[in-house]
Amino acid sequence: MSRVWTRDRRVVTAGGRQAAMATELDGEEETAAAAGKLTGSPQLSVEDDLREMAKNAAWSVSSYKPGNNVLSLRDDNLDTYWQSDGAQPHLVNIQFQKKVKLQLVILYVDFKLDESYTPSKISIRAGDGFHNLKEIKTVELMKPVGWVHISLSGNDPRETFINTFMLQVAILSNHLNGRDTHIRQIKIYGPRPNPVPLQPFHFTSQEFISYSTIR
Amino acid sequence: METLMVDSVQNSLRLFMHRNAIFFCERLCAEFPTEVRFELSHFSHYVTGSLATVIVVFAAFWTSMPHSRYLFAMSCFQMNLLQEAEATLCPANEPNAEACFHFILPSYQDEIHFRVVYIVFRICSFQHSLESQYDYILLKLKAFTLPSSLQVPDGAAGHYLLGLIYRYIGRRGVAIEHLMQALAIDPLLWAAYDELCVLGAVEDANEYFSDMAAQHIQKQYLSESNSLNSSNGSEFNNGSSNMSVTFVDSIPRQSKQLLANNAREISSIPPSSAIAKVPASNSGTSNFSQFITPPAATQLSGVAPPPLCRNVHVSFNVANNDIATKSNNIAVQTPRRKLLDEGKLRKVSGRLFSDSVPRRSTRLSAEAIAVASSNATQITSNGNSHTSAKFLGGFSSSSSSSSKVNAASSRSLTFKKGHSWISESFDEGRRSEDFDDSRMENMATTSSYTSMSGDVRYLEQGKTIGDLAQDSRLISGAQELLCLLRTLGEGYWLSCSYRCQEALEVYLKLSEKQFNTGWVLSQVGRLHFELVDYYEADHFFSLARRVSPFILEGMDMYSTALYHMKEEMKLSYLAQELISVDRLSPQAWCALGNCYSMQKDYETALKIFQRAVQLDSRFVYAHTLCGHEYIALEDFENGIKCYQSALQIDQRHYNSWYGLGVVYLRQEKFEFAEHHLRKAYNINPQSSVLMCYLGMAQHALQRNEDALEMLERAIAADKQNPLPVYQKANILSLDRFDEALNVLEQLKESAPHESCVYALMGKIYKRLEVHEKAMFYFGLALDLKPPAADVATIKAAMEKLYLPDEMDDIL
Repeated sequence: MSRVWTRDRRVVTAGGRQAAMATELDGEEETAAAAGKLTGSPQLSVEDDLREMAKNAAWSVSSYKPGNNVLSLRDDNLDTYWQSDGAQPHLVNIQFQKKVKLQLVILYVDFKLDESYTPSKISIRAGDGFHNLKEIKTVELMKPVGWVHISLSGNDPRETFINTFMLQVAILSNHLNGRDTHIRQIKIYGPRPNPVPLQPFHFTSQEFISYSTIR
Repeated sequence: METLMVDSVQNSLRLFMHRNAIFFCERLCAEFPTEVRFELSHFSHYVTGSLATVIVVFAAFWTSMPHSRYLFAMSCFQMNLLQEAEATLCPANEPNAEACFHFILPSYQDEIHFRVVYIVFRICSFQHSLESQYDYILLKLKAFTLPSSLQVPDGAAGHYLLGLIYRYIGRRGVAIEHLMQALAIDPLLWAAYDELCVLGAVEDANEYFSDMAAQHIQKQYLSESNSLNSSNGSEFNNGSSNMSVTFVDSIPRQSKQLLANNAREISSIPPSSAIAKVPASNSGTSNFSQFITPPAATQLSGVAPPPLCRNVHVSFNVANNDIATKSNNIAVQTPRRKLLDEGKLRKVSGRLFSDSVPRRSTRLSAEAIAVASSNATQITSNGNSHTSAKFLGGFSSSSSSSSKVNAASSRSLTFKKGHSWISESFDEGRRSEDFDDSRMENMATTSSYTSMSGDVRYLEQGKTIGDLAQDSRLISGAQELLCLLRTLGEGYWLSCSYRCQEALEVYLKLSEKQFNTGWVLSQVGRLHFELVDYYEADHFFSLARRVSPFILEGMDMYSTALYHMKEEMKLSYLAQELISVDRLSPQAWCALGNCYSMQKDYETALKIFQRAVQLDSRFVYAHTLCGHEYIALEDFENGIKCYQSALQIDQRHYNSWYGLGVVYLRQEKFEFAEHHLRKAYNINPQSSVLMCYLGMAQHALQRNEDALEMLERAIAADKQNPLPVYQKANILSLDRFDEALNVLEQLKESAPHESCVYALMGKIYKRLEVHEKAMFYFGLALDLKPPAADVATIKAAMEKLYLPDEMDDIL
């Protein structure tokens, strides 16, 4: 027990250091969020106005070990994982059927179980297809256990969401210089659509909402 | 041994020991492999609800027995194998079920089958309350075993069933026709009226429950009482041997039995031939009167023979009438004597009644009044005897009880009950609370018809020979009942055509007693629900639940009302309660699904709604709710499918049209959207929400003038609804800024916590380049904590506000 505790503490302090570094690197507040990402949270908690988007997307990976293929990323089972089998960077490609608004990528990794397979540096890229992917976010993880939240929002309020056809999660490096990587789950969140179509804004008051739909 | 076994089976069934019954049925089948026994085993299987077993048993002993065929058809119908049901009902050489019905109707042997099938069907549809289910089972069994039920008159039940089948096959026109016929034969067949309303085929509620109908009821009762008496007569002769008679299938044998048993009223003419000889002038008779009055038929047989199918619909012919009653009166004589002895048996009969009578609803007894009154009129019109209606009624019931004592099973009363039950079963299911009220009275009053008209008559009184005054009172009772039905019918019709306000007024005309019943209260709740007055709806639905805690009718609506009100706790409580009341009812699962949907767990909600669909695939609302969940999950394709299957069941289910409209709005297929929303609007032209959506669709189609007009109408239709006002402002904000701002200022007063209003005001001010105000309103909008997406848009708008032109203005 105590070892776990100390390790956790170490993680926290390391995370802090990491965050400081990140601040120097990227220079903005997003690193504060990055500090939270490093360890991961045991519970998957998402704000109410977001929902999972990638159920109907096409998922592919750059490489995999037989038995640990892309399906393991989406099976809602934390005991299974996708394992890459090739040279870095390892890629997870998510192609949507239409242009979607995305806000959040959450992945489940477990440093305690996967050790050197645990990713340490992840880049998120977006674009219309493979040909024009642009990096929108890079994050570093430090011995994470649990759900790691990676926000896709920029600083500008207009960049709260990214509007894209395709998302790529690239694992640039692993902990302890590991080669292949393990990821247990990936979830992608975007804003809920307005329950009332064609509206510029969501209704917030009970008076409006109770009149806004028929069931 | 045979009799003993049959008795044991029936006793077991009566005591709800189904396993025992099945066990004995099996022994019985093994020992006496007659068709009769299989029938019986059929029944007990059906009772326990193992439809599959019915089918297996049936498949093993498929014969030409109409009984089994009906049962089989019924099973099919229940399991939604409509084609099979139709095919089963149709002999190979008959083109369709309809013809088959007509083919079978004339032979009274089959009349029973209608009844049985009908009852079985009702059982299935009212499985909700277990208690009433048992009643139905009892009734059904009795109807099945009773020879008197052979003489059950109307084809109403049959037409009703056929109407249902056609409705679900999708042949709306034919369905309506049959339902109309059912109602024409039996004006008290509320269920048929209900279906007609749902189908939107009712033009004017009053015509169905007019004085004409009252007369019809009287006539009908006249024929019925005849049959009762005559059957009673034969009953006494037959004793316990009757039972086997009933089961006998072949008509020749039947007629032989009749010959042997029946001394009085029924001539030696086999029923089938009697029917064949019924003249065209007689075509108005109900079936029942036909075989009751074979003498009449033979006397008139010089006239051209009618088509077989004719006998059902038209009203009684007077000439025939007289003859019928003559024979009838003879029949009455003997039983009356019997009746005197009957008094001794009172206690016994009272006990016997207690297991069946209480289950009649008040409406049932109302039916009985009508029946009684018509009986009375019949007799008076003849001038032959002044036996009062009460006498007859009391007689019939008492005789039946006596026969219960005498014979193995009771017949005539149950038949009568079975009949009246049929016509009223619909209400019975809903008005379980009526049971409680009527129970006490009915226990005492074996002739329950009197309880309705206000004077409680006991059997002893009923036995006394009444006078004309009583008859007229009974007639007025019938009219009173019809008056009640008229009110209810009008209310229901109005609510089905979504003229909610008017319907509410009609319901308010009801007496307090009637108003405070579960069915009426839930109807009123539903009306408020349709008027988007969820608080009132909540009030009435909860009242309904208080009056009758086991009510399921309308509870799906209630749960949706709570959903709209975001009453999470109430909703989950309701769902829990409903599940505990009946976990096999679709309403309960709809409520539960709404719970999950409110928590935005659309996938679980969808699963639950799908379960509701599985439980009852004809429950329209569950399909629609499934559709809504699919849409929430953005699976438009499946959503559309769900809506369409809902519309297949009920074209007038506007919620689904609306759902489709919204899907197309979302997909930006605005013309489709407009079309579907207009469909919904045409069905429910008073819904301000629908008008608002229609306006939105028109706006999307760039038809702003139409849209504004529609929105104005929506505003006028419901002053409480802020949405059309907002939409109006939204449209105006494109070019008529001042007007839009005016509208929004007012709206701000009525809905001060709506961030959209402020956001839109901010937007307009921004367009007007009144930056400070724009800023102010955007800020207000943000304070109300809109979701992240809106925060983003508003913040973006705020930044754009200063960035492009006048940066210094802000700084």
